[in-house]
Amino acid sequence: MKRRDIMRLAAFAAVLAATTALLPGKDAMAQDKKWRIGFSQATTIEPWRAQFNKDIIAEAAKHPEVELIVTDGEDKTEKQVADVENLIRQEVNALLISPKESAGLTGVVQQAIDAKIPVFVLDRNVETDQYTQFVGGDNKLIGRAAGEYAVELLGGKGKAQGNVVEIWGGMGTQPAHDRHDGFHEFTDKEPGIKQLLDQQSGDWKQDQAYNIMATALRNNEKIDLVYGHNDPMAYGAYLAAKDAGREKDIKFIGIDALPGEGVTWVNNGELTATFLYATPGAEGLRQALKFLNGEKVEKTVTLDTMKVTKENAGQIMKDNGL
Amino acid sequence: MTFLRLLSQTKLYWGLIAIFLIGVLSSPVTSSGRNIFLSSGNLLDVLRQVSTTGLVATGMTAVILTGGIDLSVGSLMAICSVVCAMLLTVPGETPAVFLGMPAVGLASLLVGAVVVRFIFVNIEKTRSGIANIRDVQLDRMRGTLLPAVGGVILCALVLSFLLPQVQTKFGVLGVLLVAPAVGLLFGAINGAIIVVGRLQPFIVTLAMMVTALGIARLTAGQNNAVLPVYTGSNATADFDVLRQLVFGIVPMPGIFFIAAIILYSVVLRFTPFGRYVYAIGGNEEAARLSGINAGRVKIVTYAISGLLAGIAAVLYVAQYRQGKPDAGAGLELDAIAAVVIGGTSLMGGRGSLAGTFCGVLIFGLLSNILQLHNINSNLQLVLKGVIIIGTVLVQERNAYDVLAHLRLTSRRPAQRETAAEERSSRETLSLTMGGKEE
Repeated sequence: MKRRDIMRLAAFAAVLAATTALLPGKDAMAQDKKWRIGFSQATTIEPWRAQFNKDIIAEAAKHPEVELIVTDGEDKTEKQVADVENLIRQEVNALLISPKESAGLTGVVQQAIDAKIPVFVLDRNVETDQYTQFVGGDNKLIGRAAGEYAVELLGGKGKAQGNVVEIWGGMGTQPAHDRHDGFHEFTDKEPGIKQLLDQQSGDWKQDQAYNIMATALRNNEKIDLVYGHNDPMAYGAYLAAKDAGREKDIKFIGIDALPGEGVTWVNNGELTATFLYATPGAEGLRQALKFLNGEKVEKTVTLDTMKVTKENAGQIMKDNGL
Repeated sequence: MTFLRLLSQTKLYWGLIAIFLIGVLSSPVTSSGRNIFLSSGNLLDVLRQVSTTGLVATGMTAVILTGGIDLSVGSLMAICSVVCAMLLTVPGETPAVFLGMPAVGLASLLVGAVVVRFIFVNIEKTRSGIANIRDVQLDRMRGTLLPAVGGVILCALVLSFLLPQVQTKFGVLGVLLVAPAVGLLFGAINGAIIVVGRLQPFIVTLAMMVTALGIARLTAGQNNAVLPVYTGSNATADFDVLRQLVFGIVPMPGIFFIAAIILYSVVLRFTPFGRYVYAIGGNEEAARLSGINAGRVKIVTYAISGLLAGIAAVLYVAQYRQGKPDAGAGLELDAIAAVVIGGTSLMGGRGSLAGTFCGVLIFGLLSNILQLHNINSNLQLVLKGVIIIGTVLVQERNAYDVLAHLRLTSRRPAQRETAAEERSSRETLSLTMGGKEE
């Protein structure tokens, strides 16, 4: 018994020592870094979020004086709140946060503000206005651009005719509602445009959109245009149409325009168009640095959208090294 | 040497101590030279972060002790959080009212009856022991009539308190009654189906997990994810009380968690019910033959599991200022992991809430440390998994066997008992001592 105890204790001590040695200690905080900036990302499993992280990390690499800490909320409010609390404890000079959702993160953002940390809210807002700055795209604006283009594709203002399938993103999310509302500002004015589905949500995912579209194809003889709230869903719908042999008579519009996704599909002629939903990563970090260096910053920075069609898709892919 | 022995025997606690030491020793230091991990704010953050999982794990422990499992806790929390948030913010007849009010009525009927019965059984025990044959009439009355009356009285009281709030908005006390009642009811349904239908807990609670998620989404309706933030203007209750720090330091959810652990520990250790839980997990058939009403005990454990999920939901709503159907996603797995890390056997009959408490904290501290070091979150998942396996290996005392297998240490002398035998003999002993762990 005794010998085993000692054995076990020794093993325990060894593990402890090893772990302690492995974890970077105080020296990890490099001396030449003037600013520690914490960035709390909601999740990294979506391609758009991955691009977002890529953008912010690339921007940070351009500024040697910045130490950027990126956390991943794993798509859970609780985890993201814990992440931000953690960054507050680490006394970062500035906090960038892209909230999973508004309500759930408001409390902890307030906590950061109370701790005198400048907070830059990216992409999705929180329900307080005491943050330093909000940087994000305008989903309604993008929805409008998509709606305008859809009307154009279906025959132009006042003459547009056709059956439209709209595939929603997450049902309870603001971006989905905004992308829906903006789109309908244009299409609802056209008596010739008929919406085939009533709020079918693909939860931003390609596979779910495929299933929705497959059903829609079975139920409707004629579909002229598919509007997916993001590119993967539009692409999922395209694949369903392709498997039914009907992709030629349908136009597909998506949103996001990630180089590796939407832009590529547009370039391949699979999607008709996609609209850029720029990630606020690079801009957010630039703004935060501006603020830390004592300059004034705007309360709100809205990122513009861009229509991506066959004409400009190739160029965008080249610019992104694809 | 005694100290060493103690350390090795309280195997539950030294996992916790180890994690804590690693945290202290490796913690980064702020620019002003403070140890971040040790700063009280950080440790209290951890307590707050684990309290939801902790409450659910508390209920889960008893369920697992009976040899069952409850996969529905995450979805139950989702339902309760939706009901809670809607009652707080939307006055009048909402789906939440139609779900919540009957639930709270039924639950109070049940609880009233159980409490009255419990009181009577105990009075009976202390007074005479065996009832007189001629008292059959009286017995029948005590067995059914009086509990029924008790249930009706409690139900009337609760409903008369809550009904006026339907037209306005519910207060803190109101949702603290309704949301856990919804959880309790669904938990009781779980238990009843398992016992009456003689089905595997795994499949029943799996079905409930899906069903409950659907009900949560239906209840939330168009508000699928976002309910208004409490700014005092759109919620009657000043819900801040559940977010506050008690005595200015301890977060309220943590108080709930610790209170639940302590109360349930007392119940499991010092009441007949607690002994029945261990006995059923040890050998259900034997327990039944020795006169334990195993079915009833199991139903109660599932009901309490649901109840605690409901309480966790109220705290969730208070903390994150929202209730939504995806609250508590994946919670059941975290809770089960914490319970198992705490040394409770999935076979049932062995384990303790003290262990679960340690398990929950180990989990929370581990996440906190990995995050403080800003380790890539995907790597964090890998490390967590590896550490769970490692911890359980050490706790089950099989680590030595693994090492021996790999020829890293000498085999044990043959005359030694194997760890398992040693354990089972100890357990039998501890059962007779009231289910105490070492």
